Amino acid sequence: MNPALVGVALAVVVGAVIAGSAGNARTAIFGLVVTMVGVPILADPAPAPLALAARLVAAVLAGYLLWVATRGDRVRTSGSLVGWPTDAFLAAAATIVGFGSHGLGAPAAGPPVAAAAGFALAALAVLPVVTGGDVLRIGLGLCLLLGGALLVRTSLGGTPDQLEQLMTAGLVATSGAAVAILTVTAQADRHAVDVHPLGPE
Amino acid sequence: MSLVVFVAVSFGFAGLAVSLRAHAHSVTAVGIVGLIATVLAAAAIDPAQVVIVGGGALATTVYLRVFLVLGSLVGLGLGVAGLAGGTRRDAPAATLAILGAGGLTLGLVDPRAAVLVATAGGLFGILVTLVPSGGPSGVTVGIREMRVVVVAGALAIAATSWFGRDLSQLAAQPVVFGLAYLAFAVAVAMRFGAIPFHLWAARLTDAVPETALPILTALAPASLAIVALAWIDASVAPLLVDLGAARAIVLGIAIASIILAAVAAFVQDDIEHILRYSIIGDAGVVILAMAALDPEAWAPARRWILVVIVARGAFAAWTAGIRAGFWTGRVADLRGWARRSPILAVAFILVVVAGVGFPGLVSFDSRTAIVELALDGPLATIVLLGTLAPLAYYGRLFAIGLAPPDRVLEPVDRWRPRVTPLDLTAIPGWLAATWHANRAFSTASVAVLLGVLALATSAGAFGGPAAAAGLPPGLGIPNEISEPLGPGDLPLPSESSGP
Repeated sequence: MNPALVGVALAVVVGAVIAGSAGNARTAIFGLVVTMVGVPILADPAPAPLALAARLVAAVLAGYLLWVATRGDRVRTSGSLVGWPTDAFLAAAATIVGFGSHGLGAPAAGPPVAAAAGFALAALAVLPVVTGGDVLRIGLGLCLLLGGALLVRTSLGGTPDQLEQLMTAGLVATSGAAVAILTVTAQADRHAVDVHPLGPE
Repeated sequence: MSLVVFVAVSFGFAGLAVSLRAHAHSVTAVGIVGLIATVLAAAAIDPAQVVIVGGGALATTVYLRVFLVLGSLVGLGLGVAGLAGGTRRDAPAATLAILGAGGLTLGLVDPRAAVLVATAGGLFGILVTLVPSGGPSGVTVGIREMRVVVVAGALAIAATSWFGRDLSQLAAQPVVFGLAYLAFAVAVAMRFGAIPFHLWAARLTDAVPETALPILTALAPASLAIVALAWIDASVAPLLVDLGAARAIVLGIAIASIILAAVAAFVQDDIEHILRYSIIGDAGVVILAMAALDPEAWAPARRWILVVIVARGAFAAWTAGIRAGFWTGRVADLRGWARRSPILAVAFILVVVAGVGFPGLVSFDSRTAIVELALDGPLATIVLLGTLAPLAYYGRLFAIGLAPPDRVLEPVDRWRPRVTPLDLTAIPGWLAATWHANRAFSTASVAVLLGVLALATSAGAFGGPAAAAGLPPGLGIPNEISEPLGPGDLPLPSESSGP
């Protein structure tokens, strides 16, 4: 197993834990950017330079838009309801499951660490997406879910071709922009630092 | 390549419209001009080209061109109707972006790439949920819509990835095939807002203008549904494994959507929710085609999708016409609407005939074929009758329209075109006044035009039936870029031919 890929996978999962549990909005966004930058690198063979550049630019752009959207003092999100240690244990368990079930019943064309990190991201996304109490937290959870799905896709089918990488870059940037727009609108609506709470279903 | 031009035009104008969103008049003008440009660009698509880019490929088909031409015309019609009847300033931009994403989705050869673009296309719809003043409901609806789009996208990505590789050394149980099939079918159902995934869509109806509803909940998910149908035909249907449980769930979603949506539309008190549930009911037929697991369902399903997009677009324009003409959408307050606006009555009849149809029309025959392929026995008869249930809510609306008006607030000739006195010293002001005086007439006229378009589509015009019977975009074609491939569609890609 490539130790460099293991290191990247570790960074991706740690970033996701921070994104899912941090109460400070910009800390959570920093974690998300670390994750989204690491996702395209977790492939074997490595993506073509141009495709990788597109993915990295998209990840940084999405993070930048979110960063701008949370401009101002003390912008917070509700953070994890169960605390970061619980999130970290959840991610560790999902990592083991993903690594052990690599290929999901058939030989896979991608690295097992991508499956491990993908399962971890998907597991960490569940709580924010299902129970998130504010726009930013749900949005971060959705970005994590998307990252997890992309990693599972890489682990099963191998490194995507350049055209698919370009489409993935567009989707990542669009997701970040969508969360940023909603966050800005929510803040404007409240005339306050907190993003808009969702309220009951 | 012609598809690249279409995508560049649609995304270019969408970006321009978003960048000008602070200027209401400019953004509207750019949006309408952009929609006209997309109609022309869609009509100019050469249906036999392939562009190979970095290992992937974009290919055009006759169906792609028909889909984009009809989608662009519906988008343009709804854009004009929204301009006259009132809409969000971002609606044309979102329509343009969704059209561009739809073109890319249908043109991409690899379904794994196509589902990514289809997901991004769904995210563009969030723009329309944003109320200019930053209303709380808009943000809440927007994040809920995003949640549905991304979760559906994740399901579709996982499903296409699982099949999109060499499965010759498969060690998994057949249930895994069923789960992958179920995941993609549920993804499509979520995007359409099919029952039981309809709550977000119902709230969306409260937050977005009626002219945007068919774009967000019919046109945008339609491209994902077409990819799903192609993927199921190529990857799932040929399998000799028992998909009983997964197929039963998909059938349940389809039947529930067809029947319960008709019931829900019948009891709704406002026409926007009737429109929304009518789209859900039509989506149920699309999902039923996914449950057929029969290549014979491919052509009728794609014909039906064309009819749905245009017929529901016409219904939305009619809804906007009612709003613009009578300043209400409450069914109880619309007594005599057909008497007071003959143009809207004509549009309504066109919508009903195009949407429900009769034997010989594409809408009726496609729906019947899908039901017969997916079901048999008494259940097929029940569901077939269920597909005719929209006649109940159409009948209710028309009966109210024919009833004597209980109160008339507007002039009796409001539905007619009017020309305000010409003032040669202030032409722009005269034009604005004339436009304002003809808002009701304009939306009603658009509804009639879209109704005629829907009836023509339902009658098999524009080469829709032949195009729908063609194969999905594929490779197996020469290496030269934009090499003409001869008449008809392209062969299936060898990679996506299933295990």
